[in-house]
Amino acid sequence: MKDRNFWFVIASITVVFLVYWLLGHPYFVTERFVMLFSIVTLSATLLYYIRAAERGEEFYLRPIPALKAVEEAVGRSTEMGRPILYVPGIQDMDQVETVAGVVVLGHVAKMTARYETSLNVPVSRSIVMKAARESCREAYMVEGRPDMFNEDMVHYLTDDQFAYAAGVNGIMLREKPAACMYMGKFYAESLILAETGNSIGAIQIAGTASQAQIPFFVTACDYTLIGEEFFAASAYLSQKPELIGGVKGQDMIKLVVISVIVISAIIMTVYESTGIGFNIIKYLTIR
Amino acid sequence: MSKLDKIENIFLKIGSVDRRWIFIVIAVVVIIPLLVPIGLPIRATDTSKSVYDAIEALPKGSNVLLSIEYSPSTKPENHPMTISIMRHLFRNDQKVYVTCLWPDGQFMAQDALKQVAEGEFNKTYGEDYVLLGYRPGGEAVVKGIVSNIRKLFSVDAKQTKVDDIPMMDGITNFKDFDFLFSASAGYPGTIEWVQYAADPTGVPMSSGVTSIQVNEVMPYVQSGQMVGVLAGMPGAAEYESLINQKGSATSGMDAQSVAHLVIVLFIVLGNISFFIERKRSRKY
Amino acid sequence: MFWKRQIPIFIVTLIGSITLFGWFIDQPNVKEFVGDDATQWFDVLASFAIILGALNLIKLQLQKVLYQKPGWQYSIIAVFGFIFAIIAGFFVKGVDDSVAQWGAHVTSDGTLFKWMFDYVFSPMSATMFSLLAFFVASASYRAFRIRNFEATLLLVSGIIIMVGRVPIGGIISSWFIMYLIILCLGIYVNSLKQDMKITFVFVAVGISLVTIGGVITGWPIDQPGIFYLPSIQEWIYFYPNVAGARAIMIGIGLGIFATSIRYILGIERSYIGE
Repeated sequence: MKDRNFWFVIASITVVFLVYWLLGHPYFVTERFVMLFSIVTLSATLLYYIRAAERGEEFYLRPIPALKAVEEAVGRSTEMGRPILYVPGIQDMDQVETVAGVVVLGHVAKMTARYETSLNVPVSRSIVMKAARESCREAYMVEGRPDMFNEDMVHYLTDDQFAYAAGVNGIMLREKPAACMYMGKFYAESLILAETGNSIGAIQIAGTASQAQIPFFVTACDYTLIGEEFFAASAYLSQKPELIGGVKGQDMIKLVVISVIVISAIIMTVYESTGIGFNIIKYLTIR
Repeated sequence: MSKLDKIENIFLKIGSVDRRWIFIVIAVVVIIPLLVPIGLPIRATDTSKSVYDAIEALPKGSNVLLSIEYSPSTKPENHPMTISIMRHLFRNDQKVYVTCLWPDGQFMAQDALKQVAEGEFNKTYGEDYVLLGYRPGGEAVVKGIVSNIRKLFSVDAKQTKVDDIPMMDGITNFKDFDFLFSASAGYPGTIEWVQYAADPTGVPMSSGVTSIQVNEVMPYVQSGQMVGVLAGMPGAAEYESLINQKGSATSGMDAQSVAHLVIVLFIVLGNISFFIERKRSRKY
Repeated sequence: MFWKRQIPIFIVTLIGSITLFGWFIDQPNVKEFVGDDATQWFDVLASFAIILGALNLIKLQLQKVLYQKPGWQYSIIAVFGFIFAIIAGFFVKGVDDSVAQWGAHVTSDGTLFKWMFDYVFSPMSATMFSLLAFFVASASYRAFRIRNFEATLLLVSGIIIMVGRVPIGGIISSWFIMYLIILCLGIYVNSLKQDMKITFVFVAVGISLVTIGGVITGWPIDQPGIFYLPSIQEWIYFYPNVAGARAIMIGIGLGIFATSIRYILGIERSYIGE
């Protein structure tokens, strides 16, 4: 009960919802109540830990080698006098992974501004180009190096998947970047990019939540952020308390999900073998 | 230098071979079986059989939605599936409605319909099959088809009004279809159809996907949200064997088989070299 | 600063909340917005935004040509390709109106655009995808090493899937696999005991037992099923593979949920450069 304000708001929302429910819950899709309850509960868990972090509580985050390697990679590029290639995926800003990729780009851009290393960001979507440019511009301004920022460091190639892969490969083979970072949503072109990067001797760091592409990146890259590690990258790189609290909250949510899976498995096993209990799957299925 | 040392040196050389030699070997082992087919027997897996059985069990004249979302890059994997599924559907006199979530998919759909519907089965456009075409929007298109297909498709791919197409009578939304098959190579594709169309409405669906995507799609097959899946070129070849009409997937399987064996051989050779290196570094 | 900071955060919060909670509201206008309009707004924005990308592409490629930067010859091809596609899409159909109308001309046979798609775009697209075949071979060769237990497990399951998935796996008898296992175990026993006699006895007994088993059962190609590659491959696909895939999917889903909530609540503001 450390955070009184938080519990007060939760209690208020619960009371308001109960009143709404008792008044006949107009316009509410009743079949989706479980989903609404889940969203509110899990969001509340997340917010609780974010607020705890903001109050000064410290949370342990296990070290992720790939994120430690980002600064090393930028340093390596600076020493070798070669650029850094950053690929924010091939999807548009409507994908959360692309937004996460642009966020990580901002952190990388801060490092390149600090170390005065050139940064090359070929993109596959126009809106991503604008968003990535803004992210880089702000990063360079924050580091006090607006003179080093050049709009053309973020440039558009093409929307087509394999034409984009061909374009990025060409950039890799001509400019020979010392570090290649792939952070975003990828499809089949992931191995083409990673193998070409491997052939030029670049250090490669990848991060994606595209499940099918993770094995290719793990095989061909030096470091890979797998799944949620990619979404937690922003917290690791910025070390902002609210973001770290969010990662902790995410872990607690996972604990809740694991508990629900285990309890549901036990209940369903008992129900299907002995008939005792109830069909919990029916309540957990969302339509 | 003893004989064993000489042999070990050979393996070490193989272990550090330039990757371009690997590329040449792969090229040769893929080209030769395509020119000189081996004719390896194809054994259908349960997932492919499920797709076949589901389509075979459809009553004659069923409305089947066929969604094409792949591009020329994955044509060798997805196109044979589309061709075989079309052959099966037309053979059983089903009504086929073709839509595309990818712009390239419309080209692929046209090629397939030209080959199968027009060339092999002499079907009539507008009565036996219709190409509704591509609409931009990804999952919004899927949701649109679920709620009101006529709002989304006022004309077909040939710019004919949908109201003037005989087989579109009575088709207003996704629930008016008896089955969905999605030939998919990525996003938007199979997963969007499962999430927004098949699962919420209960219309049975199946899919043919690239080999890479099978991992993502298999949980939906296992949970019963999809009726089987055609997994990559092997899945396409299995379906060709089930409908007793061989196509490009079957001929491609010889090449794929040999290529896989060669890759395994390379892996084994690479590991032998790795062990020899480790043994020598420990020794010295 | 208000326009660059508070307004974008407000837009994200408002639209994000409406789209999220709109799914629970049974009101036609809200449902239409959540189901159709919201995603279509984005598509409209993205479609117009492509003009920005195209202008940027042309500007950079022309600069390369004009200043003769390294690789400027490729930029000529890029500019030419761009102009050709624009002409084929918007200006030159290549056929009469009776054959294909504007709009339908992109997919109609005989048009310049269709020619470009069939004979330029499709082969190039397929070529880039086919690079994967070579890269998979070189990546597997380089990466699949028996460094530790997990790497060994990965290697063995990878080989089983690769061979079991294709027709050639179906003609490899389970008895052949058993002999192979005996030989591999023999190598392992030899590395442990370093005694040729023990190794010889072990391998001899193993081979004899397998041979006797084969003679008794009549050497069926797919029995015992536990050593038949297609059966093992199917089991690996359906059980450990799907279990791992589900776990990663759930983790990714939670990651997307948490990230999205942070954006909607304005906690994460890096996308506007903050």
